[in-house]
Amino acid sequence: MELSPALRNRGLSRRGFLRATAALGAADLVGGCTASAAPPGATTVSIWSWLTGMDKYVAAFNAAQKDVFVELRVIAAGLSGGYAQQTNAIRAHNAPDVLHVEYQGLPQILLTGGLRDLTADMADLESQYSPAAWRGVRPDGRTWGVPMDLAPMVFYYRKDLFDQHGIALPRTWDDFRAAAAAVKQVDQQARICSFPLNDGSFFAGMSWQAGDPWWTAQGDTWAVDIAGEGTLRTASYWQSMISDNQVAGVVYGTQDWIAGIHDGKLWGVLGASWSVGTLNRSIPKDTGRWAVATMPTWDGKPANGIQGGTAFGISAESKAPEAAMTFLRWLSTNPEVPKIGSTFTTPFPAHLPNRAVARQAYKGGYFLGDPVYDVLDEAAKRVPDWTWGPNALRLFSTISDSFGPVRSGGTTLPDAVRKVQQHAVTDMRARGLSVREGKTA
Amino acid sequence: MSVLAPERAPAQEQTSTEPATRTRKKDFAGAVLAVPFAILLVCTVLVPVAYTLYLSLFTERLRGLGFSGPEHVFVWLGNYLEVIADSAFHASLGNVALFALIHIPSMLIGALILALLLDSAVVRLKQVWSLAVFVPYAVPVVIGGLIWAYLYSPTIGPIKNLLGFDPLSDTTVLPSIANIATWQWVGYNMIIFYTALQAVPKEIVEAARADGAGGFRTAWSIKIPVIRPTIFVAAVFTVIGSLQVFTEPMVLKGFTGTVTSTWSPSMYVYEAAFVAGDNGRAAAASVLIAVICAVLSAVVMRFSTRRSSR
Repeated sequence: MELSPALRNRGLSRRGFLRATAALGAADLVGGCTASAAPPGATTVSIWSWLTGMDKYVAAFNAAQKDVFVELRVIAAGLSGGYAQQTNAIRAHNAPDVLHVEYQGLPQILLTGGLRDLTADMADLESQYSPAAWRGVRPDGRTWGVPMDLAPMVFYYRKDLFDQHGIALPRTWDDFRAAAAAVKQVDQQARICSFPLNDGSFFAGMSWQAGDPWWTAQGDTWAVDIAGEGTLRTASYWQSMISDNQVAGVVYGTQDWIAGIHDGKLWGVLGASWSVGTLNRSIPKDTGRWAVATMPTWDGKPANGIQGGTAFGISAESKAPEAAMTFLRWLSTNPEVPKIGSTFTTPFPAHLPNRAVARQAYKGGYFLGDPVYDVLDEAAKRVPDWTWGPNALRLFSTISDSFGPVRSGGTTLPDAVRKVQQHAVTDMRARGLSVREGKTA
Repeated sequence: MSVLAPERAPAQEQTSTEPATRTRKKDFAGAVLAVPFAILLVCTVLVPVAYTLYLSLFTERLRGLGFSGPEHVFVWLGNYLEVIADSAFHASLGNVALFALIHIPSMLIGALILALLLDSAVVRLKQVWSLAVFVPYAVPVVIGGLIWAYLYSPTIGPIKNLLGFDPLSDTTVLPSIANIATWQWVGYNMIIFYTALQAVPKEIVEAARADGAGGFRTAWSIKIPVIRPTIFVAAVFTVIGSLQVFTEPMVLKGFTGTVTSTWSPSMYVYEAAFVAGDNGRAAAASVLIAVICAVLSAVVMRFSTRRSSR
């Protein structure tokens, strides 16, 4: 649920946006849309986005040059309506020039045929991006988006409590099981972390680490392998943790979760880069208690999953694709952007030079131990190959629906995962896609 | 709200002595006055219904990886067959059937008892009492759902400690959802029943009392039979409302994995349209839900007229 922090921040950023636009002398403003105040001769580019702080980036871009004027419309986040709105706009032939896509949502948007092939426009930038982000916008070897940020998964833990009770930071999942038991030993009500069952993107991130990608584009066919060895291993592991009552079940970012962390009942968080912001906001008083580490691994070989990350695509019907590209290159690669972002969030840009800028601008002080950006950098380097399928977003609902009865013992995670695989294959075939089951070389 | 009045005066027969021209003029005025309504009806009901029917006959067919974009194909009743065969759709119907089984009797009986108590002189502070029961209806459903979700929450809510079980587990979540709906609607229906009770002729009640009927007997044998048409109309609305239940489970879904994304038929439509992006299937499911609603309402009304005319 990387969307919830963005949603929570919306009000705040809109207010900031009001101030920014007022300072720029823009005339009027309707419900989060910038009013047209394009300088004469400028090309207008429209963008729909739910990225926190996009208003500030757009304002800075419009102030910095006179050739392109960007009009932002803030839309509902991802599956709360953003994707539906964008796909429907593409179908109705009135999409904005720039669309907001996450890596996980990109292939699903591509099914509308509404995005412009950016392979040639982006070719010179390859070496400047995190490889995981670059692969994320190239599901079939063509470039369909401009990467913005990336959210490698990491393990946040209460270093103060771990140290106090002599629990070592777990480096493998076996260690993690022992650490979980140790935490419970200290406090019967406390758990090492929560494993939310109604968050498909979280489970995908956990499985990603295990090294068996759920989808692979092979020529003109999707190889679908959701019940692959790595995913089943992940599922069995967490099933045993749930059966042994070693993990909590609260959903990330909810009041229950915040309460659990407040009361010291959750000693760790399996999160991603955006959890830095969630922790800072939800429990600002916990300064100097938490530390960050890369994920425990299966076999000691470093591997990290990713949960989320933003990119932007250009509409195939855009009348101003060059101007849109000018803006997106600025947004993705200009050092001003992470500088602005650092004032209200902890950006983790996909663009490597910009990541260095964000690291410089990071204030720090909240976490103990290794610097956050070092850990995130390391995590981002360890990401195994992965391709999101054209039904990824829908699959997240299928996962949470299938995992629902796990806690009461109605089903087990491995069984549920096999059901999800069947569901995905049936669904994809019904839509006419070419599908092959299982991993094929 | 005239439909809810227990007894309607028979429509005045038009007198045949009236000159023909006046009738025509009246018709013209009537047509003019109906225009705003007709425009709204056409634009907000008939056109969308027709478009839904049209959408329900098409689907988007993809090829290969799907990145070359979709092809719009006519599939006759393919979407309908797909929905009818879909086990998720069956499960959603099963859920609302159980929901209705809990919600409709408890809500209607609760509202009726409250209205009868209000109508008899038993209750003091009528205004305060009726307002207190009615207030949940004034709370937006999403807010009401959130309030209950926090009350239900097994870690921070009080209900688990009070009752000794988790109200959001997969066996208890359905009654928990029904409870939110009952809480929301009982006051509204109480007001409707109470209003109908005001129209019960005083002389019948007095006659019954003179014959020695007590408060309970009067309520059972006089008041309830007189307001029966109102009760049935409320029942029809509740049946339709139950079939369309959406907001309560949707809010609870954010708090527990036991509410699936296709928990109710309306959520099934939402999932098809806004998550899966399959507008054809969403349209077909909507049409099917509308048909089921119409059939159920007809059955309840039929039942009501047969009972009343006995």
